[in-house]
Amino acid sequence: MYQTIVFLPLLGAIIAGAIALYGARLRFAGDVAAAGHDHAHAAPHDADHTHDAHDAPQEPAALGSRAAEVITTSFLFIAMVLSWLAFARVGFGHYDERVALFGWIVSGDLKIDWALRIDTLTAVMLVVVTTVSALVHLYSVGYMAEEPYRPRFFSYLSFFTFAMLALVTADNLAQLFFGWEGVGLASYLLIGFWYYKPEANAAAIKAFVVNRIGDFGFALGIFAVFMMTGSIDLDTVFAQAPALTGKTIDFFGWHADALTLICLLLFMGAMGKSAQFLLHTWLPDAMEGPTPVSALIHAATMVTAGVFMVARLSPLFELAPNAAAFVTLVGATTAFFAATVGLVQNDIKRIVAYSTCSQLGYMFVAMGVGAYSVGMFHLFTHAFFKALLFLGSGSVIMAMHHEQDIRKMGGLRAKIPFTYWTMVIGTLALTGFPLTAGYFSKDAIIEAAYSGKNAFAFYAFLMTVAAACLTSFYSWRLIFKTFHGEPHDKEHHEAAHESPPVILIPLGALATGSILAGLPFKEYFAGHHIEEFFRESLKQSGEIVEAMHHVPIVVVWLPTLMMSTGFLIAWHFYIRRPDIPVELARQHDVLYRFLLNKWYFDEIYDVLIVRPLLWLGRLLWKGGDGIVIDGLGPDGVSARVLDVTRNVMRLQTGYLYHYAFAMLIGAALLITWFMFAGGPH
Amino acid sequence: MDVLLMDYLPLVVFIGVALVLGLALLVAPFIVAYKQPDPEKLSAYECGFNPFDDARMKFDVRFYLVAILFIIFDLEVSFLFPWAIVFGEIGAYGFWSMMVFLAVLTIGFIYEWKKGALEWD
Amino acid sequence: MKELLAFLPILPEIALAVGAMGLLMFGAYGGERVVTTIQGLSVVLLIFAAVLAAMLPDSRFGTSFVVDEFARFLKVLAFLGSAVAIVMSLDYLAVEKQQKFEYPILILLSTVGMGMLISANDLIALYLGLELMSLALYVVAASNRDSIRSTEAGLKYFVLGALSSGMLLYGCSLIYGFTGTVSFEGIAEGSKHPGIGLIFGLVFLFAGLCFKVSAVPFHMWTPDVYEGAPTPVTAFFAAAPKIAGIAIFVRVAVGAFHEIVPQWQQIIVFVAIASMVLGAFAAIGQRNIKRLMAYSSIGHMGFALVGLASGTAVGVQGVLIYIAIYLAMTLGTFAVILAMRRNGEMVEEIGDLAGLSRSNPPLAFLLAILLFSLAGIPPLAGFFAKFYVFLAAIEAGLYTLAVIGVLASVVGAYYYLLIVKIMYFDEPVQAFQPMPGELKAVLGVTGLFNLLFFVYPAPLIEAASAAAKSLF
Repeated sequence: MYQTIVFLPLLGAIIAGAIALYGARLRFAGDVAAAGHDHAHAAPHDADHTHDAHDAPQEPAALGSRAAEVITTSFLFIAMVLSWLAFARVGFGHYDERVALFGWIVSGDLKIDWALRIDTLTAVMLVVVTTVSALVHLYSVGYMAEEPYRPRFFSYLSFFTFAMLALVTADNLAQLFFGWEGVGLASYLLIGFWYYKPEANAAAIKAFVVNRIGDFGFALGIFAVFMMTGSIDLDTVFAQAPALTGKTIDFFGWHADALTLICLLLFMGAMGKSAQFLLHTWLPDAMEGPTPVSALIHAATMVTAGVFMVARLSPLFELAPNAAAFVTLVGATTAFFAATVGLVQNDIKRIVAYSTCSQLGYMFVAMGVGAYSVGMFHLFTHAFFKALLFLGSGSVIMAMHHEQDIRKMGGLRAKIPFTYWTMVIGTLALTGFPLTAGYFSKDAIIEAAYSGKNAFAFYAFLMTVAAACLTSFYSWRLIFKTFHGEPHDKEHHEAAHESPPVILIPLGALATGSILAGLPFKEYFAGHHIEEFFRESLKQSGEIVEAMHHVPIVVVWLPTLMMSTGFLIAWHFYIRRPDIPVELARQHDVLYRFLLNKWYFDEIYDVLIVRPLLWLGRLLWKGGDGIVIDGLGPDGVSARVLDVTRNVMRLQTGYLYHYAFAMLIGAALLITWFMFAGGPH
Repeated sequence: MDVLLMDYLPLVVFIGVALVLGLALLVAPFIVAYKQPDPEKLSAYECGFNPFDDARMKFDVRFYLVAILFIIFDLEVSFLFPWAIVFGEIGAYGFWSMMVFLAVLTIGFIYEWKKGALEWD
Repeated sequence: MKELLAFLPILPEIALAVGAMGLLMFGAYGGERVVTTIQGLSVVLLIFAAVLAAMLPDSRFGTSFVVDEFARFLKVLAFLGSAVAIVMSLDYLAVEKQQKFEYPILILLSTVGMGMLISANDLIALYLGLELMSLALYVVAASNRDSIRSTEAGLKYFVLGALSSGMLLYGCSLIYGFTGTVSFEGIAEGSKHPGIGLIFGLVFLFAGLCFKVSAVPFHMWTPDVYEGAPTPVTAFFAAAPKIAGIAIFVRVAVGAFHEIVPQWQQIIVFVAIASMVLGAFAAIGQRNIKRLMAYSSIGHMGFALVGLASGTAVGVQGVLIYIAIYLAMTLGTFAVILAMRRNGEMVEEIGDLAGLSRSNPPLAFLLAILLFSLAGIPPLAGFFAKFYVFLAAIEAGLYTLAVIGVLASVVGAYYYLLIVKIMYFDEPVQAFQPMPGELKAVLGVTGLFNLLFFVYPAPLIEAASAAAKSLF
């Protein structure tokens, strides 16, 4: 069963990929020149209008598109059903398993098997990944209907799912890393799916490069683990972890605490993958990809891989309190920072993207204070409502003919009611409206932050509470500006129409999930049944949960209060007095610009890192490679060779007596040699 | 004196004698020759060469051809003489060896004849 | 009958000689009309001789002529090389109006000399074979009498050849003087306590042999003769005589002087390094493809001598593999050079190959294969050729030689790849005239041999191994 779950998407990806390759061959065999021509025309774009560009090459759909869709989507639904079965079996039947598949790498002391580690943590992730993925597949059938390269798209999507499943079922760090890089690759391919758009390419490269920084740390962390324990097998590592306490890794005279260093390095990977503060810059840009991709990869699953990884390695993080404190700090900062930026963004997808960033910060706060199950809870519920918000945004974008700027929307409530109501449900869940899914998980995180013992716990509490207010504000701002008020673009507004059922069904399913994913699971993730639900898969001290249950009543109600405040401000600003925000932005121009430009992170990185690196690169290229290496190497050598050639050619005079002379000189040389040096011994 | 070098003494004597003889023959005419040119002596030979002229001059390549062909058959004869002397002792093997040699020469001779190398014009 | 059986070992040479004389008579009486027939019969005769040579059992003719596995292997190569050279000349001679019946007959006679040389087992037989081969070569080099360059080439070759023969004879007489015998076995016996005189003889003998294989510093004639001689003659020069030259080189070195390997090893190492390096460097400056092939063959002879320098059976095996593959590479390349005809004129500049990949893709592809093979790029045959000689050199501890050889082949790769670049990336010039069928066949066979050698290399390698072992 578990093998089926993991490898069925891979099979789907291969089949769809084969169809895509076959189609590409047919297409390019026909008219290469015409295709290139089309692409050239599609390239120029207005940078301000980051559409979901469907002004793609006008080509007929690739052969077998329908087959690719049907195959991959049905495979995903099978995997989804099996995952829920597995969830019931593992989570409630308490039936953990380790499915060894095959030996993978054997090199010296390093022995790695490919095995599926099935416990509750994995089962939760399986459910999240396959459910969202299946719904996104289905949604994409409708959303990508005009797209000619659908087989390629579905192949990538299924491949991503496989990589993500490989990640969550990892039994050792190498397998985890494989999945980690696999989702990175899929993310890169899907962000750059519209490869004829320069912004999409730039965004894809940015995502890849920023993730490399994190992965560098992650890889170093894995090496460090291997160095200290001689194994990267999770069970072995966890068994040896307590013995590592107090040991140090000596590095250039610097004695670093082994566990802290390992955890920080591993967390560096998580920061990249989960777009945490400082390494977050790629996530908003990743919205250049198709909207279903944003929903699946950049909201529900891949970006939570970092959270999952910290949960998976909780036995290590539990032993490294300093590292855990750092996790808290980063998570809290991200939660607040991303929320502030989200306040003023105008691109519907970017708002949701910053919201994602912020919510991931929440999850890391929970991880940092030791409430791993609570973090997982938020991951679980967040997957539903954030995927819902993205897919809803996609539906809006479709209705508005690929317009993404919310300033140009408005009054869509009546035109697309189903989308409107599902979006409202998503927003309620995101902002933590009582009894929705987000309410339970988010409040639990804030309570955990309040009860946390580490140095940054209270800071995290403040930040998350503030962020809750901001979240509510920007979420409702999005709803109000999009669906309420006067339409700003009459033409588009007139033409707006509700999406087809194939899009609405996933919205409905996710809306249901956004409401129902909270209450039934509350006790298992954040209540009294954590121990028996997660068992060995998480190493979580009971104290924090215990403390969470005894927080003051103020703390319990504070998030809800904040949510209401945010809602009221938004209502005031965008329904009652739409002129206030404009006035406010003018009055606090500096602050507004600061937020609008995302705290100038891209600009700072550009000045601090990109430009010096480009300068260094150019220096090494022109000076190092061009003058030194080429000059002394290939160019220099070839110049010397030519010199020798010229001299040798001068010997060939064409005069007979020169030739005879050369022969005699040669013989005389040999004779002389033997007379004086090499004669008979 | 080294025994090895002593063995070569006859050779040195031989070279000395040859040298003296050659030089004597070259130098003697200048000293003792009786010079009395007359038109008959100074007129060209039948082949067209002047009797007294610079030896380094162009002349017809056919002279070379005839000279080379002459040398070939001249040398053939120099092989035939020793062969004829020991003919009684070398038997059929010796006889047929020379026949093969002559046959090869004959083929060459036929070829040059057919190609017209023996015709002056 | 018993006497006649004694002639069995030299049967291929007798057949060639008698056939050549018969054809000479035929031509003398038949005139220009029978040229084609004579050409065809010459090829048949050479193939017949190759088959005969391959079937002969191990035997000797007196003490001076020996048939062994080594001789069989090389004779087959040399005879086939001559046959292919005649085949490749057919179209050229017809188009250039130079059809003379003497040409194939001279090649036959030269080939008799090669057979003699390959089997020679004493100094007399060596000299006879060498002169028989060379005299015919001098004549064919000048066979285009109306061309100044051809006659100049013939004359240069003749004069320098005479000089080299003189050196060789001087070496032979020294060796005879210091060992008291001309037979290789006797020389081997007599060289157990070598004096400086014997070494001098060795140097002069080797100098003469180096001239024949055009090894540096006795190579000077090669570029001028290759360029001046008519192209089919150049193709012939580059193939069969080289095989015979290498053969006698190996037989003298290993057969007659195996007691003084350290001494002659120094000569061979020097000559091999000089040849490889000069071949590689000088070829870069060439614009004429025939001249380039001359330097290429100088370099390749250097590589072949690397195998000999090791002085072991493995080394000799390497030499034999090298020379066999070299034969295939060089004949194929000359097939292309012979096809470089435009508006009825032969063209010989490298630049004339520009854009060949577009005007004649199959030709360009096969030439590229051959050039890559000449450069020694895996998995083509030329790589294995170099591989075996370098392997032998390393096994014999001649690391410096092997390293210099590899570096020289890197430099050498430049000019081969330059031609490939010109063919594939330069703007096309006018296409060549259609290639005659026989050249297509030669090019196809040699190209495929080079391309597919690695698939089934065992026959050649085993044959070379057996041939090498027969000398030890």
